[in-house]
Amino acid sequence: MQNATSRDNLTGAVEWYENLVGTPVGQSRLTTYGAPLKPLYTPLDVPGFDYLANLGLPGAFPFTRGSTPTGYRGKEWTRRQVIGVGTAEETNERLRYLFAQGQTGFSVCGMGYAPYESSDPRAAGVLGRGGVWLDTLADMQTLLEGVDMASVTINQIGASLPVFAMILAEAERRGVPWAQLHGTIQNVVAPGGEGPAHRGNHALDVIEFCTRELPHWNHTSISARNIRDQGVSSVQEVAFAIFMGLYTARAACSRGLPIEAIAPRITFFFSAENELLEEVAKFRAARRIWARAMRDLGATSSRSQVMRFHVQTSALSLTMQQPLNNIIRGTVHALAAVLGGAQSLSVNSFDEVLAIPTEAAATLSLRTQQIIADETDVAAVNDPLGGAYAIEALTSQIEALALEEIARLEALPDRRAFEQISADANMAGYRRQLQVDRGERRVVGVNEHVLPEEVEEQVGLSASDVFEYDPAWREKQVARLETTKRERDPVAAEAAKVRLAGAYRARENLVEPVIAAVKAYLSIGEITSLLASLQGWDELKNRHCFYTNEFY
Amino acid sequence: MDRVRFLMVADSRGHTAGYYAVSRALRDAGVEVVLGGFLPPAGIIEVAAQEDVDFIGYRIMDREPVSVVAPLMELLRENGMEHIRVIVGGIVPPSRTKTICDLGVEKIFRPGSRLEDIAAFVKGEAVVLPSEPAREDLGMPVRLGI
Repeated sequence: MQNATSRDNLTGAVEWYENLVGTPVGQSRLTTYGAPLKPLYTPLDVPGFDYLANLGLPGAFPFTRGSTPTGYRGKEWTRRQVIGVGTAEETNERLRYLFAQGQTGFSVCGMGYAPYESSDPRAAGVLGRGGVWLDTLADMQTLLEGVDMASVTINQIGASLPVFAMILAEAERRGVPWAQLHGTIQNVVAPGGEGPAHRGNHALDVIEFCTRELPHWNHTSISARNIRDQGVSSVQEVAFAIFMGLYTARAACSRGLPIEAIAPRITFFFSAENELLEEVAKFRAARRIWARAMRDLGATSSRSQVMRFHVQTSALSLTMQQPLNNIIRGTVHALAAVLGGAQSLSVNSFDEVLAIPTEAAATLSLRTQQIIADETDVAAVNDPLGGAYAIEALTSQIEALALEEIARLEALPDRRAFEQISADANMAGYRRQLQVDRGERRVVGVNEHVLPEEVEEQVGLSASDVFEYDPAWREKQVARLETTKRERDPVAAEAAKVRLAGAYRARENLVEPVIAAVKAYLSIGEITSLLASLQGWDELKNRHCFYTNEFY
Repeated sequence: MDRVRFLMVADSRGHTAGYYAVSRALRDAGVEVVLGGFLPPAGIIEVAAQEDVDFIGYRIMDREPVSVVAPLMELLRENGMEHIRVIVGGIVPPSRTKTICDLGVEKIFRPGSRLEDIAAFVKGEAVVLPSEPAREDLGMPVRLGI
């Protein structure tokens, strides 16, 4: 970088500077992983820096500077707000409204949530509040009405097999070939299944099926975001994501799928937090680690080595107090995602701390994305913060620490490693809350600049309009389910059950039998309880990784 | 030290940052915490009886709170378990505060509540059990669900 004399001069100058300003220990701000953030970064903080080896060019190994050569000028990030309200009807209405406002992607929350039907007592009070409720394919048809399935990218939150099957069945009914569909399923392989090929592991069934039938479908989306939102550090978020990504890749290879066939469709899902500099470095470090890890796994094509990711902004950093402040927080989070080179973005709405966003709040989230894209200059330059000493030093630091964490996890038995991730995540929120309570982490409106609720309301800083739950949704949905069941062909429904049970017992790939089941209008509840009756619920989840996550 | 037995439950899986933070804080404050995980009201009653708890802490996130808190309070009455005190935490819209409190819930801890305050409330006002010897740190509280 420079010759010996100039390095000595620089060292001297930096020493002079540090003596001048001083940084008493304890006064410097810490990164989320506990390392002090220095007041100044210089070339001394990036020793042995090799531009081509560490950064390269956008779209080229190791992809530190971006996933594609042209960045956002070539392809804008997808505006993929999360939507899920009431029944399929209300969600479809909101979806169409947001598409009309410029939304370009589709991410439905609550798809296939619960392994029981809307008529089950357990559905009381939740149906339509935590996301959209779906029972049968008829609901999916309503949900997707007016949505051009051939052109829109669909993101399935969670990895419910029946819901995935419904999307494919609906495409088929409309005559859209599966090979033309673009989308993502939030699928990740966890330990489970039988034999070396993990037969009966339904996450792997999805990967196997997509690799064969859906060339443009991201069969894997590693949701590190939801772990981050429990309060873990940026380093842990990256490490957990890449550990799970590698586990998924290796497991898929164990089914006989070539790495080059599966790797390009492994995607990631990250958060974006308040620490903007650290977050930008995090995204860059994640790309670099993944590229090198995939290369080491034998993937040689760029498509296999490049990391692509969606960002949903932090929910943990949003506050119920003075909720309008969350608009500003969301903007900072969104900026971090864009400066970090996200392919797809969802900005949480300011009122999501209270309820499902109102239409106005959801629009503001979309507008936040549009203003960053169209009015600011941040999207015009690839990796615009790249080369800044602070960013490069943080990127290398996060990379090094994440690699250590990944090595620790990989040294554990599979199941133990996944449990360790949960355990770390479960403790993280406690530590973070203690920092807030003690004032070590400053939160405007919570532990500083606090306003009494009346004043908040008086000055107009509260959410004046909060989305209200409508109990009528459940009655409507139960009636709808009854009609669908009455009108379906009972013989076909019974045959689909028999086929599904047979496939399950034989540990065959379950995707096609589940598609047949949803096409016979079996409900998500019927499908999952049928499988649970064959195996026992816990066994189904733990051994065969059947995805029916109740609420996320 | 007198120990309070506290059952922590949730209205859904996921979004557990607050659930675990409060559980851990109560445990560190000397409360005996049982993690019940995601349970419907009938399930909460069952575990509360088995574990003989003094308190139920109900984390609300996904559900309309009245729809689950009302049946819980009713089941407590029906089963002669009115002595168990109930607090609710999490996302409770301000418009529901009065209804929830009228149902017999002692307190609602919404986001922004301090862990110390929650612990003080639980310890200060609960029916206390005879003292137990101090125990070594065993990590997170007992895990039943979630």
